[in-house]
Amino acid sequence: MKKILTTCVYCGCGCGLYLHVDEGKVIGASPSRKSAASRGKLCIKGWLSGDFVNHPDRLSYPMIQRGERQIRASWDEALSLVASGLKGMGPSAVGVLTSAKGTNEENYLFSKLARAGFKTNNVDHVARLCHAPTVAGLSYAFGSGATTNPISSLEEADAILVVGSNTTEQHPLVASYVLKARSKGAKLIVADPRRTQIASLADIHISPRPGTDVAWINSLLNSIIKEGLADRDFITKRTMGFEAVKESVLSYAPEIVEAICGVPAEVLREAALAYGSADKASIIYAMGITQHTTGTDNVQALANLALATGNLGRPGTGLYPLRGHQNVQGACDMGALPDLYPGYQKVVDANARAKFEKGWSTKLPKGPGLTAVEMIQSAETGKIKGLLIIGENPMVSYPDRSSVQRALEKLEFLAVCDIFPTETSKLADVVLPAASFAEKEGTFTSTERRIQRIRKAVDPPGESRSEWEVAAELLRRLGVPGDYSSPAEVMEEISSMAPNYGGVTYRRLGAASLQWPCPSRDHPGTGIMYIEKFPIGLARFRPVDHMEPVEGPDGEYPLLLTTGRSMYHFHTGTMTRRSPLLDREVPSPFVEVNSEDASRAGLRNGQKALVETRRGQLQLEVKVSPGVPKGILFMPFHFSEAPANLLTGASLDPSSKIPELKISAARLRKVSP
Amino acid sequence: MKAFLPNESLIPWLKDLSSSLEVIAPVDVEGEAVYQTWKGQPPALVGNTLSSPIEVLMPRTEVLFRYVQDSGRYTFDEPKVPTRIVVGMKPCDLKAVAILDRIFGSEPTDHPYLAKRRSTLLVSLNCTDPGPWCFCAIMDSGPDAQEGFDLALTDIGSGYLAEAGSAAGVLLIKGCSSGLFLEADGSHEASRDILLENARSVMAEKYGDRSVGHLRRAIRSADWEYLGRQCLRCGGCSFICPVCHCFSIADLGVPDGERVRCRDTCLLSGFSRMTNGANPLGSIGERMRNWYLDKFEHLPERTGLIGCVGCGRCDEICLAQIDRWRLEVLDERSRQQRQQHK
Amino acid sequence: MSDHDSNGSNISKRNNSYSGCSKYSGQSSQGSYLPLQAEIVDIDVESPNTYLISLALPSGVDFSYKPGQFVMVSVFGLGECPISITSTPTRGSLQLCIRLAGRITNGITDSRIGDVLGIRGPCGNGFPLDRMKKDILIAGGGSGFATLRSLINYIVDRRDSFGKVAVAYGARTRQDLYFMQEYKGWQQAGIDVSVTVDIGDEGWKGNVGMVPALIDKFNLPAGSAAICGPSVMINAVASKLMARDFDHSDIYVSMERHMKCGVGKCEHCCIGPYHACQDGPVFTYDMVKEVL
Ligand SMILES: Cc1cc2nc3c(=O)[nH]c(=O)nc-3n(C[C@H](O)[C@H](O)[C@H](O)COP(=O)(O)OP(=O)(O)OC[C@H]3O[C@@H](n4cnc5c(N)ncnc54)[C@H](O)[C@@H]3O)c2cc1C
Ligand code: SF4
Ligand code: SF4
Ligand code: SF4
Ligand code: FES
Repeated sequence: MKKILTTCVYCGCGCGLYLHVDEGKVIGASPSRKSAASRGKLCIKGWLSGDFVNHPDRLSYPMIQRGERQIRASWDEALSLVASGLKGMGPSAVGVLTSAKGTNEENYLFSKLARAGFKTNNVDHVARLCHAPTVAGLSYAFGSGATTNPISSLEEADAILVVGSNTTEQHPLVASYVLKARSKGAKLIVADPRRTQIASLADIHISPRPGTDVAWINSLLNSIIKEGLADRDFITKRTMGFEAVKESVLSYAPEIVEAICGVPAEVLREAALAYGSADKASIIYAMGITQHTTGTDNVQALANLALATGNLGRPGTGLYPLRGHQNVQGACDMGALPDLYPGYQKVVDANARAKFEKGWSTKLPKGPGLTAVEMIQSAETGKIKGLLIIGENPMVSYPDRSSVQRALEKLEFLAVCDIFPTETSKLADVVLPAASFAEKEGTFTSTERRIQRIRKAVDPPGESRSEWEVAAELLRRLGVPGDYSSPAEVMEEISSMAPNYGGVTYRRLGAASLQWPCPSRDHPGTGIMYIEKFPIGLARFRPVDHMEPVEGPDGEYPLLLTTGRSMYHFHTGTMTRRSPLLDREVPSPFVEVNSEDASRAGLRNGQKALVETRRGQLQLEVKVSPGVPKGILFMPFHFSEAPANLLTGASLDPSSKIPELKISAARLRKVSP
Repeated sequence: MKAFLPNESLIPWLKDLSSSLEVIAPVDVEGEAVYQTWKGQPPALVGNTLSSPIEVLMPRTEVLFRYVQDSGRYTFDEPKVPTRIVVGMKPCDLKAVAILDRIFGSEPTDHPYLAKRRSTLLVSLNCTDPGPWCFCAIMDSGPDAQEGFDLALTDIGSGYLAEAGSAAGVLLIKGCSSGLFLEADGSHEASRDILLENARSVMAEKYGDRSVGHLRRAIRSADWEYLGRQCLRCGGCSFICPVCHCFSIADLGVPDGERVRCRDTCLLSGFSRMTNGANPLGSIGERMRNWYLDKFEHLPERTGLIGCVGCGRCDEICLAQIDRWRLEVLDERSRQQRQQHK
Repeated sequence: MSDHDSNGSNISKRNNSYSGCSKYSGQSSQGSYLPLQAEIVDIDVESPNTYLISLALPSGVDFSYKPGQFVMVSVFGLGECPISITSTPTRGSLQLCIRLAGRITNGITDSRIGDVLGIRGPCGNGFPLDRMKKDILIAGGGSGFATLRSLINYIVDRRDSFGKVAVAYGARTRQDLYFMQEYKGWQQAGIDVSVTVDIGDEGWKGNVGMVPALIDKFNLPAGSAAICGPSVMINAVASKLMARDFDHSDIYVSMERHMKCGVGKCEHCCIGPYHACQDGPVFTYDMVKEVL
């Protein structure tokens, strides 16, 4: 019987936990008092995070496709197939999708594998589907695309604006700090079309028509300026471009916006007053802001709001883009992005390229690569011929499932590395079994830029291996110099290549954690960013205007379908659906419908309904919920038997290329039993 | 029987024990005390651990049996039960064992629990320095262990006063290498009494306003809908509680596999949801109320013991920071909001 | 413990507290979670989504049960769930009537003759035949009728020990009625049988409507009643019976709850201080009326 301190594998809060091990098996998890992030608390997924580790479905040996079947193979055979199979296609026809579930070290090595091994910048990961607009938007505005303050700093806020984040369900730890602030008297403003738990706890609930976020955010700024609540001093000393924004929000008076968003002007004014007059105000946002064709603009609108009120660089202020996966932050940091090397150094910057060519002792490709969704789309047109997918299940998590399937089937070579068989691994030519978070060493970087260790508690099942070993072995086979015997060694290389990780070592991490930027060995790490200045000097305002969503409701498809998560499941459910308790909580797919829409369709709670969009249709159970406004359907995307993404579209945000996952025009019908 | 174990003999004694038993003791793992198999480290015997050693008897997940199929028929294999000794168990956790004994020991008895119970020796450590959340004295379960231990230790500075509570406990003292235990005298007992009295008064001062009667009244008057709205449904208050014992059963594997049981929590709606979707405890508020009723009304009725031992763990880990003893959220502003909601 | 007797719960308390109950040394085979292996010897279709499964227990096993008890049934790999015993101990084989509801029930009905199911039990208290009056009204709605069939056939086989007996049973449609071929036999045994459906059709000549309406047809002295079905139905039937001077402690209700262990440990099936799996599933109406 023993206990191993590690970091939760689910959301981006980065809670510390002990895995309970008995007879060489993980039997449970419990919180760690010393964890800087979670301080002795966990959410239900954290408490149950050990559940899937022992599951009998775990992949335990490599497999290769022979005819219709996948048969057992040796690692050697499987790896040489992957190396030669992908190398042979040529740089522009290969892509690597890495995993936000993997460690920093793994993402670093896969980013290196793509660039130095396959000579392509076609490397990306799931962040494309969640926070690409954050990286694009906040990098422009502040010079860095991460959460500005530690989660615990929320406790000191006088006002908190939560936008498009079902915080109590998706980031419970963050919610616990919001509740703490609230009980100390902070005003809580929640913007969400649905009346979520946190909305029900809010002082002000803004329920905008989906896709109209820029409009109502601009209207808050409009009122703030009009009421003289803008922080003149901060604007003058720390920012540029305010005048243009001031000009542009003039046309967003609350009364005008009421007509666009359906939010009463009074509510908008009240929210503006609450946020604008607070001494310290924070903004929390998540997928409800980013998963839109206007994602980057939405992010900028929020940045404008924070900048205009001087709510940056102090405790209790800042912007919190909440990261969904436990290491989506780290995967971005590690350059698992087509246009950025590790440490956010630009691929198009010749100096940066020279630095990495020197560090990696090899020539590197020029020009940014394709994004995740573009890779899938190019696979459909035949431009991408080979893909290596690490710990991702695009068949369920990507928009427009049928076209994803066509694309993956069209590939000449598909290799998938995962811990469980998935809808995607079933299509693979080579399947590599991976070790889970409980079976390897490494680091995760949480949504508050906190770099924390994970530790090996048990041996991986059968022949499965850590992904960093897979990447290191592939690098070796492709002749890229470098010989890694442990993730600690990989971290040493990372700290020499990525300036924000410059001072990070395993020795320093020990039982503690470090928040980047941590440029040198003697640097204590950075809790609150931008205290004195922004990385780009002055922060940038940018005017943004409301644009109607690409696909609005119409006569044929009169409802709006929006997708999201359930509290008890994670992503495509490969882990949570194998936890007896989590699976029991939400055992099957459902669509949440307002009672009016339901009765119009003649549907009662629990009955089967047909939901149709222009891309497909699904049959699933109806949950009549007072939390969903009229005209909106809500559907979680965890369920491969009723994949919500069969229905979603793949229109992209022009700057960040995030697909519009939150809005599809839809209709609802009763299915006769 | 009483004896005195000088500080320097503690580790040699544990070594002695570990030659024949698996010793489970709190040790420091990355800066925090947790119970695990003792491997020679200095034991971390101060304060109580966040996870209760009750897990030795009631693990978070355990295999009930393995099923193996052969031409349509099954053979079953029950796991072997290790022989263990838990050293350092606090009086609150020990009292929890007494409650669990009555629950799992009542007819029909629960074999997996009892098998572990019978093969586990309990060495308790009285609390001379209660932690910030501890209120065992108020719940009559501490700071000293009354019964149920094989051996009870009290840290009296220079060493431990050891008192046997069972024949096995006497053997723990007598059966070990000679010279480890010394004779106990009146001064040892006197210092024990002073230390424990002090611990008792610390708790009385801090938590004197808590009482079962008070809580029962609070259960009746609490606004459960409002409390439910705050709860973040982490389930922690059940998973962490040494008295909570609800579990679920699941099969892992076809055609061969394991039937496992895992600790569950009645705060989740699936816990009580029935096949037709109806739920006798439909709202989170009702489920929270049920959690309290079970501990303070139903368990006392079934077992004669209150279902809370005052370990304070549920206070410490509550993700929503609900004041678990006042059953309300204290600040002025929420009180006003609550008025509006009504 | 000054206000121990305070009524914090919805449910009235039972008198026999366990305080000072058996210590941990007790022995009983029930609390072992190892199931018996019962072979499926027959499968019959009761309704479009309901199957009647007959089981043979391993020889030499003492498996005596009472009407109203249930068993925990396993399909290995899928799990275990509670199923009422629908056969009567007065006849040979052990029968279960399974309505498709989810994973395990589908797994049970996917089995073939010769396959084995795991069985634990019998669990629960069953109908208190020794305490029940001689005149009995039996009222069932939907799939809850499975457990009542055990009682009815028991009465048929021990007809002399009972007085006036009437059965009121309702289902959604004609197709959903269980055990149709047995009604005649029951009537021949002098039992008043009355059946209704919610939705009638051309082929249906009988009653259309709710079960409580059938009660009015019977001319039954105030005796005991056994009810199983949806809450609304139970309450409606019970209030009709009480209007006819049935004592509320003579009205026995079989309750459904989420169940996992079947032996009073896992707490899933709590009804106030009671465990439906141990203290129930049969309760007197006064014990449970507040949660119906
Ligand atoms: C005392 C008693 C007697 C019963 N007798 C019969 C009978 O004779 N015939 C019959 O067909 N059915 C009977 N049932 C109902 C039967 O137990 C459920 O239909 C069965 O548990 C469904 O399991 P499943 O795996 O098929 O469905 P699942 O796939 O588990 O799920 C279907 C739904 O049931 C819920 N559920 C899961 N586990 C349980 C559980 N243990 N108890 C209740 N709900 C659960 C789930 O939350 C889900 O909403 C009885 C139930 C009880 C309590
Ligand atoms: S809040 Fe996030 S990181 Fe923390 S336990 Fe829950 S899922 Fe894990
Ligand atoms: S209810 Fe809370 S304080 Fe009481 S025993 Fe359980 S965890 Fe400890
Ligand atoms: S610990 Fe607190 S937040 Fe978690 S389930 Fe219990 S009451 Fe709710
Ligand atoms: S089913 Fe476990 S207590 Fe009743």
